[in-house]
Amino acid sequence: MRRAVDVVTILQFGVNGLFVATGYALVALGLTLIFGVLHVADFAQGALYMLGAYVSFYATQAGGVGYFAAVALAMATGAVLAALNGGVVYLPLQRHGGSLTFVAALGVLLILQNAALWWFGGDFRLVPSPFGDGKFSAGGVVLTHHQAFVLGATGCLVLLLWAGLRYTKPGKALRAMAQQPEAARLVGIDIQRVGLLAFAVAGGLAGGAGALMAPVRAFDPHIGAVVILKSFAIVIFGGMGSVPGAIVGAAVVALAETFTAAYLAAEFADLVAFGLMIVALFARPQGLLGRLPT
Amino acid sequence: MPGAWVGLALLGALVAPVLLRSPSHQNLLVLTAINVILVASLDMLIGLSGLVSLGHAAFWGIGAYTSALLVMRAGVPFLVALPAAGLAAAAAGLVIGYPSLRLRGHYFVLVTFIFGIIVTLLLTSWVELTRGPMGLPGIPFATLPWVGGTEVVLNTFQDKVRYYYLVLVVALLTLWVRSRIMGSRMGRALVAVREDEDLGQTLGVDTHRYKMGVFVLSTAQAGLAGSLYAHYSTFLAPETFDYVASFDLFVMNLVGGAGTPLGPVVGPVLLTAVRDALRSTHPVLGAVLFGVFLILSIQFLPRGVVGVWDHLRGRRRW
Repeated sequence: MRRAVDVVTILQFGVNGLFVATGYALVALGLTLIFGVLHVADFAQGALYMLGAYVSFYATQAGGVGYFAAVALAMATGAVLAALNGGVVYLPLQRHGGSLTFVAALGVLLILQNAALWWFGGDFRLVPSPFGDGKFSAGGVVLTHHQAFVLGATGCLVLLLWAGLRYTKPGKALRAMAQQPEAARLVGIDIQRVGLLAFAVAGGLAGGAGALMAPVRAFDPHIGAVVILKSFAIVIFGGMGSVPGAIVGAAVVALAETFTAAYLAAEFADLVAFGLMIVALFARPQGLLGRLPT
Repeated sequence: MPGAWVGLALLGALVAPVLLRSPSHQNLLVLTAINVILVASLDMLIGLSGLVSLGHAAFWGIGAYTSALLVMRAGVPFLVALPAAGLAAAAAGLVIGYPSLRLRGHYFVLVTFIFGIIVTLLLTSWVELTRGPMGLPGIPFATLPWVGGTEVVLNTFQDKVRYYYLVLVVALLTLWVRSRIMGSRMGRALVAVREDEDLGQTLGVDTHRYKMGVFVLSTAQAGLAGSLYAHYSTFLAPETFDYVASFDLFVMNLVGGAGTPLGPVVGPVLLTAVRDALRSTHPVLGAVLFGVFLILSIQFLPRGVVGVWDHLRGRRRW
């Protein structure tokens, strides 16, 4: 498939790429947060993204709830489930070492994905956007109202997260846990509680991302696995435990993916994230903006 | 190591196809033996060295496709394709292992896992080579040279017993290699990696070299299992080697008892038939149950059935 190589087309793909990046970034942020604090690779976050999408679908279609309330509901669902998951499955496993929690996380993803397949069926769903087909257009480059809303909402969430981590007491406890777990324990930080908080925040972001993307990207119960694998590659590429790394990584991967699909080969676009990850592992194993584990 | 149990297991493996005469039971026997190769090779990583690999099925798949394509497209005889499958998987192991084994922490488990995803994606997308999601049918049966220049064709549709013994030979060799390594200098170095890598390095053990060695060996054995699988089933599809398959192997190893002498035999014997039945009758419910079972066994059976048995008998890990 040949595509025109002109400024407008390239800008349009750039806009689309950035939009795709928002979904990845929200999930990757949660992953990197949990990883930084607890060294758990929480694959179940993908299932929370998927469930967030379904919550928004059923809340708006069957529950008569407005879309924005549905997004909030999806975030709450994600946060509660993630904290539950963390408390019941992962924290008790900490004593066995990190690699087993990783396997357990994949087990949770498998359970939730197949339970969703059972309850919701395998049909692809799409949630109608509250903005309809409205779009902005500047010099031929198009941005739909929904895309603009998602970009704005993601920006707000990232800012909130940043401010929360920087200025609030629980945020500081999270950062302390990530930097010096032993010292954090010495000054009296409750590891279990901080850990559960990290899970809840991440789950909220993942559930919200699912609901935000639901009007644009058709989903079925398998979407969680697709999203989480890419987010994971992004986290490794950007640097495990690094918040800026997750955002920059998401942007790089989403743009690379969009342009690969447009100009090179659509069937290999899904491999781009993993290719970048492998390159990073060879050339810069700590990731783009990460620190090496000590 | 309880020699009596090993003897009993060996006897059971030898007479099993005589006792189980129906083709479906014999099919499960062959699959179990292939799983023993896979789990025994995986356990050299997990049980012996503490390196959790979640991409083992990908190396199995590389071996399977390499062997099948070599025989189908290049007319290579089975006895050449079998080691070639091992070499191809080992080469992939070398490329993946070199960077990821240098790093501590969770890099290895993440990289092996994502490598498994990449292999499945490649097998699915590279349609010209692998026929992608349609699968690769019509893989020729294995042929072995026989006395007087003749050839024996191991037609697994008509006779699974001979093929079972072929797989059994490779499985026994794999188990033998594993037990030899465990008692060797390399095995002790790998136990050092598992228990305290820093200490091992301080004492002058080149841990990276030993980790690379065991990983390449393990992936080579998975490749051999792939070739054996390809010429047994005569049909390959990418999803046979996906991350859920890697999971299955991990769980078999965990349930059997990682790092125990007979664990890699016990796990596949207990679970191959169960997994096969679940996957074919109710895949969705099967996956849910499998996930629950996985989490429960990680929580409560960290050393598997063999570990529980040893515990009941008051024995410690050797």
